[in-house]
Amino acid sequence: MSSPITSWEGATTYFTFADNPLAMAVCLAAAVGVFVYLNVSIIRHEKAVFDKHLSD
Amino acid sequence: MTIETLQSTFEMHQAMNVEVFYWWCTAIMFMIHTGFLAYEIGASRVKNALTSGMKNILTLSVIIPTFYFFGWWIYNAFPNGLIPIDASEALPWSLSMGPDVEDMGTGIFFAAFALFGATTGSILSGAVIERIRLSAFLILAVILGSGVWILAGAWGWHPEGWLLTKLGYHDVGASGVVHAVAGFFALGVLMNLGARVGKYKDGVAMYIPPHNLPMSLIGLMMIIVGFFGFLGGCIIFNGGETGWTTIYGNPTNLSAFGFNTLMGFAGGVIGAYLTSREPFWTMSGGLAGIITVAAGLDLYYPGLTFALAASGGALMPLVGRQLEKLGVDDAVGAVAVHGFCGFYGVVLVGVIASGYPNVADLPNITFTGQLLGAIVMALVGFIPGYGISYLLKKFNALRVPPQVEVLGLDLVEIPAKPYPETVPAYKVVENTLEPGQEKLV
Repeated sequence: MSSPITSWEGATTYFTFADNPLAMAVCLAAAVGVFVYLNVSIIRHEKAVFDKHLSD
Repeated sequence: MTIETLQSTFEMHQAMNVEVFYWWCTAIMFMIHTGFLAYEIGASRVKNALTSGMKNILTLSVIIPTFYFFGWWIYNAFPNGLIPIDASEALPWSLSMGPDVEDMGTGIFFAAFALFGATTGSILSGAVIERIRLSAFLILAVILGSGVWILAGAWGWHPEGWLLTKLGYHDVGASGVVHAVAGFFALGVLMNLGARVGKYKDGVAMYIPPHNLPMSLIGLMMIIVGFFGFLGGCIIFNGGETGWTTIYGNPTNLSAFGFNTLMGFAGGVIGAYLTSREPFWTMSGGLAGIITVAAGLDLYYPGLTFALAASGGALMPLVGRQLEKLGVDDAVGAVAVHGFCGFYGVVLVGVIASGYPNVADLPNITFTGQLLGAIVMALVGFIPGYGISYLLKKFNALRVPPQVEVLGLDLVEIPAKPYPETVPAYKVVENTLEPGQEKLV
């Protein structure tokens, strides 16, 4: 269950996994992972295309 | 309906009004980035047009999440200097950092500040077009947009920031904390990045014409539209009986900003026209004028604003050309527009508005406080900009290889063509003009 609430009556923080620190940590790690992967991907792309054009 | 119910309903609507205000400020701030996108694509040669655009799009996309990861925390944790205070509620795993029925402030302020941060990244973006590696740029943009400027913001744009509490620092429209910081960061990067291939011949600066000057001019005008969101976001919309205040707590209102934003724009355009006669600088003068007066936007008489903005607009092209002569190839004049005018604007508050009180027992505005504040902003921008770009350069990770630069980055990196039915980008590998020839373009 991703919902931290069972009723809207008296609800405060209600985002997914708000009552599950481990699941929140996994989500945050995934978010950071996407960001890190973007940077790695760009560096690899640059290396590949620069090498290709420099060898032509 | 009881008095209690009426009061509760009124308070709810007040809180909703606050949210609505910053929601639309944030939306309008996106126009800054629309403008930077057009401006930088237009300022590039055709062989680099899409690479410049891609860089600009990704700037937003990396600063927004990193501002969530750590930028918002930096703002809340470092008002005293470099030793953090407890700001655990601003960490990304805090329950405050997500949807909450009862919290109608955190998310909307986070959004506005994230867009301020993205603006700093876009300021850097234009200066370094046509030769920086995308990977290096994104690293620098994240450091600037989610780290450096917001540290300066914690010091000079926070109700408890040490520049305010010790020096009475006044910078309501972020001349220093956004523009000077980003402009001097860009200067540090440019010193390591070097000029574009063909920019200098025997030490003389060549003119590299923008491939689409009209697009750049329209982009600059879009940035002006976005500034209304930016400057609106600089005001605090308080609930209760307080009404509008600056971020320093002194009373102000949108009317004050309305007078002076428009007069700043007009003065800046006229000043830049008078010293340049050139459309790119003239349109940039609108930005320069607003940035020159932004720090004191709540205080100035509009006639004074106009004159000050004209001085900033007039000096800006001269500063840009002087930097060019010194070997700084700033493709869009970002250092002159944002760095110089931001610094100048903060100092002007000290010259003109010295003696104005701050609220409670905070020190008055002084010339010394403003001058020191401006120097702090310049150094907070320049030192990391220079230092990190120096490291990237040492690892050969800052700049594209010269052969790639001559071919054009679009041909090498981008699987698309900007104008497939007209001039192929790879046919235009060089386009520089001797000094004076630009008048014939």
